[in-house]
Amino acid sequence: MKKLILSLFVFAFGYQIYSQTYNTFEPSKTQFMLRGYGHTGFEYMDSNDETESTFLGLTYAPIFLYKHSDRLMFEAELEFKLEGNELEIGLEYADVMYVLNKNMTVRAGKFLLPFGTFMERLHPAWINRLPNAPLGYGHDGIAPSSGIGVELRGAFDLGGPRLNYSIYSTNGPRINDGSEEPEEAGILQFENFEDNNLAKAYGGRIGILPFSDSSAEIGFSAYSTSGTGEEDSQYEDVGAFLFALDFSYVKPISPLKGIVDIKAQYNNSNVDTATFIEVHEDGDAEEYSFDNQSNSFYAQLSYRPTMAENDFMKKLEFVGRYSDFNAPEGAEWEEASVQYAFGINYWLSWRSVVKLSYQTTETEGGHDGSGITNTDGLFIHWAIGF
Amino acid sequence: MKSINKITVAIASILVILITIVACSSTKEVYTPVPETEVVDSDQEFKLEKSGAQLWGEVCNRCHIAPSPSDYNDTDWETISLHMRVRANLTEKESNKILDFLKSAN
Repeated sequence: MKKLILSLFVFAFGYQIYSQTYNTFEPSKTQFMLRGYGHTGFEYMDSNDETESTFLGLTYAPIFLYKHSDRLMFEAELEFKLEGNELEIGLEYADVMYVLNKNMTVRAGKFLLPFGTFMERLHPAWINRLPNAPLGYGHDGIAPSSGIGVELRGAFDLGGPRLNYSIYSTNGPRINDGSEEPEEAGILQFENFEDNNLAKAYGGRIGILPFSDSSAEIGFSAYSTSGTGEEDSQYEDVGAFLFALDFSYVKPISPLKGIVDIKAQYNNSNVDTATFIEVHEDGDAEEYSFDNQSNSFYAQLSYRPTMAENDFMKKLEFVGRYSDFNAPEGAEWEEASVQYAFGINYWLSWRSVVKLSYQTTETEGGHDGSGITNTDGLFIHWAIGF
Repeated sequence: MKSINKITVAIASILVILITIVACSSTKEVYTPVPETEVVDSDQEFKLEKSGAQLWGEVCNRCHIAPSPSDYNDTDWETISLHMRVRANLTEKESNKILDFLKSAN
């Protein structure tokens, strides 16, 4: 009996030693991955009589991927950013997805909204060909970036052409009523984590890739809600309808010895007219309203001479972008801006790029006043995806 | 704006129903499968299927530079493929072919 126990003990112990010495494990069905991206750099801005320059602290955006099975996955992205001497932490998205069949996937949680393609697919620093987003995106932008809700999405192969779709419902935006920030009265805020009313937002996108080589994609997105204000407030029934048109064309062109990449998106926001209160310096209050329609547009062209004979040239990319943004006339945040951006990128690898960019922006109105402001900026950014 | 919202909800509902019907119906074989020995149509005979390598070059480059297969192992590529299939709205065939290529080339 003792020999038997001793034999079993030696076998079990020996197996453990062997297993730890030699890699014998099989990959499990459940997998966890940490991916993400980050960027750092230097910026110089010259705006009328004001100049400033600063090195940028690293922005770090880890992405957590938890693959539960071949159909079920959890994904989340955090963003750590040094802004105004403070560390800002944001949850870009955190959702669970399940592949129902080959044409349908359901997602629930906080997910990037397929309103056009820029915010969902192109905004990460290692993907975006320029150091910042076009006008109309980000803080005070009109394009929603993420939402909390549920989404159905998928793609169909049409025997050459392809079609992809997305339909979703989210908490929707909340309108800034101006009680705390009078200068932003009427702006839609899409960070609506806890719904402020019973109205949900409904939206979707349809994308068509007409050519079999997937070089071109045309997309139409819509986003609608019947209420954006606080429940039982005068803004409860202020609805909104937004739509976007997007275009993409990416193709290697032999005569040009490189890859041409064209991206464009038009966003339009139409919010029901509402009455807001403006308090003057002498204390008098005045009611006002305006036609709350905004739009923005960008078009970007980039070229990588990937077929060049020189190795250095192969890693270069030349990019130019036009963007504009028009905020409603009569609003405190009335604005008409136009921006031109030019850049040269050097790709250290497929996921690491150094960007040198010059941007010039002409802004009429905006938060800073009613005059015209010209802002020139020089950016050197280094982005890496992992 | 309320009418626009109602129209949007109605369109979304109809789309969900239609997509569900089409997507679910495509997973079942309604007709008797054609035997492999069946003589194929002459047009079909010369229809070439794209390789995973070709799709890798075409599909990934739509947003970012196509990744190097050697940067991740097979298990990692399976996780990344599922993530990208949903994120970039790829078809199942595209996703599987690209995954097979990445696993074979790393």
